[in-house]
Amino acid sequence: MALYFGDLLPYSSLLLEGLWTALYITLVAMLAGSALGVLVYLGKVGPGKPLSILCTCYIEAIRNTPLLVQLYLIYFALPALGINLEPVWAAVIGLTLNNAAYTAEIYRAGFESVPHGLREAGKALGMKPGQIVRYIILLPATRNVFPALTNQLILLFLASSIGSIISLPELTNAIMSVSNTTYRTIEVLAVGGLLYLGVSALMSLASKRAETTLFRWAVGTHV
Amino acid sequence: MIFVENLNKKFGPNHVLKGIDCHIREREVVCVIGPSGSGKSTFLRCMNGLETISSGSIVINKHRLDDSKTNINLVRQEAGMVFQHFNLFPHLKVIDNVMLAPLKVAKTSKEEARAKAEMLLTKVGLAEKMDTFPGNLSGGQMQRVAIARALAMDPKIMLFDEPTSALDPEIVGEVLAVMKDLANEGMTMVVVTHEMGFAREVADRVIFMDQGRIVEEGTPEEIFSSPQHGRTQGFLSKVL
Repeated sequence: MALYFGDLLPYSSLLLEGLWTALYITLVAMLAGSALGVLVYLGKVGPGKPLSILCTCYIEAIRNTPLLVQLYLIYFALPALGINLEPVWAAVIGLTLNNAAYTAEIYRAGFESVPHGLREAGKALGMKPGQIVRYIILLPATRNVFPALTNQLILLFLASSIGSIISLPELTNAIMSVSNTTYRTIEVLAVGGLLYLGVSALMSLASKRAETTLFRWAVGTHV
Repeated sequence: MIFVENLNKKFGPNHVLKGIDCHIREREVVCVIGPSGSGKSTFLRCMNGLETISSGSIVINKHRLDDSKTNINLVRQEAGMVFQHFNLFPHLKVIDNVMLAPLKVAKTSKEEARAKAEMLLTKVGLAEKMDTFPGNLSGGQMQRVAIARALAMDPKIMLFDEPTSALDPEIVGEVLAVMKDLANEGMTMVVVTHEMGFAREVADRVIFMDQGRIVEEGTPEEIFSSPQHGRTQGFLSKVL
C-alpha cells in the first residue's frame, strides 16, 4: 500500500482551521462548563430542596445519556420549539452542558477534600456562606482536583469531534471532507489523529506547568 | 459580657453539655480545663455559634445566641476564635490571611486593612513573614498568624480552643507569650487549654469541667492549690 501525504498539502489550512474550531469550542465549553459545574454542585448541596433536586436530576440526566444524543436534541429537536441554533452554538451549548455535569461531580470531590476547619475559620470571622466558598474553599478545592479537570479538558477536546455530525466544521469534519475530496482516507485520518494527539499532549503539558505557577502556595502543604 | 444560662447541647443521643451556668465579665481571662470529652471545646464553640444550642441561653454583648433573629455573623465579628489546628487559608499569603475578613466582612479600605494587618503581624512578631504562604511557617508561627487574623476584626472577646495542643513543646511558649500580652492589654479571653502553667499565671478564673458540667471554678490559687471537689483533685493530680 502506498501512502501519498503530499496530496493533503493543499488542504492543510482546512485541517488547521478545523483544529482551531475544535480548540476554541473546547476552551469555551471548559471555562463556561466548569463555572456552571461549580454552581450546579453548590445548588445540589445548598439549602434549597427544589434546586437541589433539580441539580441532581440535571447531573444524572447528562451523565447517563450519550453526548451524541444530547447534541442531536439540541440541534434537531430545539428547532421544533422554534429555537434555531447555528452548529457552532449548538456545539458550544451541548459541550458546556455536558461538561458542567461532569465538573459538578469533580468539584464535589474537590470541595469535600478541603479540610472542614477552613470553613469554620471563615464562619468564625463572620463571613457569609457565599464568601466562604468564593474566598476560602474554591481555590484549594480547584487545586485538589486540577489533574481531574485537565483530564476532563482532554476528554472534552476529543468529544468535540462529535460536532462533525451536526456539520460543525471542526477537525473531524475537516478530515471527512478532505477524505471525500482526495480519497486519501488513511493519510488524512493519520494526520488528523496526530493533530488530536499533539494538542492533547500539549494540554497535558500546559496543565502541569499551570499547576506549579497557579498553585505556588501549595508547595509543602497538604490540603 | 458573656452570660450563659442552663446551656444544654446534645449530639443525637449524646448529651454533651448538661446545664452550664457561667458569667464572664469584661477584661476577664477565664481558662477552662478538664479531661478530654468533658465538653469544654463544645462549650467554647457554642459561644460563637459554631455549635447550635439545644436548650438554655447564651448572651454575648447583648446578642442572644439562642434567638433565631440574631445575626450570628455580627456576634462572630465580636468574638474572635483561635483553633487548635490554626486553620489558616493555605492559598493566601500571611498578610492576606489577616486582611481577608476586614476587607470582605468589615468592608474596610485596602490601605486601612493592610496597615492594620502589618501592625498586628508586627505585634505577634511575624512582620518579616508577611509575604510568606502559611505552608512555609512553623506551627507556632501559624498559630500567631491565626491570632493576628482573629484580632484584625477588633473582637471584644477572644475564644481559644486548645491553641497550643497541636504544637511541639518547645514552641508552645511563643504562642502563650502572645496570649499573655493580649491578656495584659485587657482583652476578654476564654481559653480552653491543657497548659496548667498558663492558667495558673494568666487566668483570673479557672473553670474545671467534667462530663458536661462545671464541677468547680475559682481563682487559679483556689483551683490549683486547694481544689474542693474530688474529681478536680483527681484530674489535677494526673496533669500537674
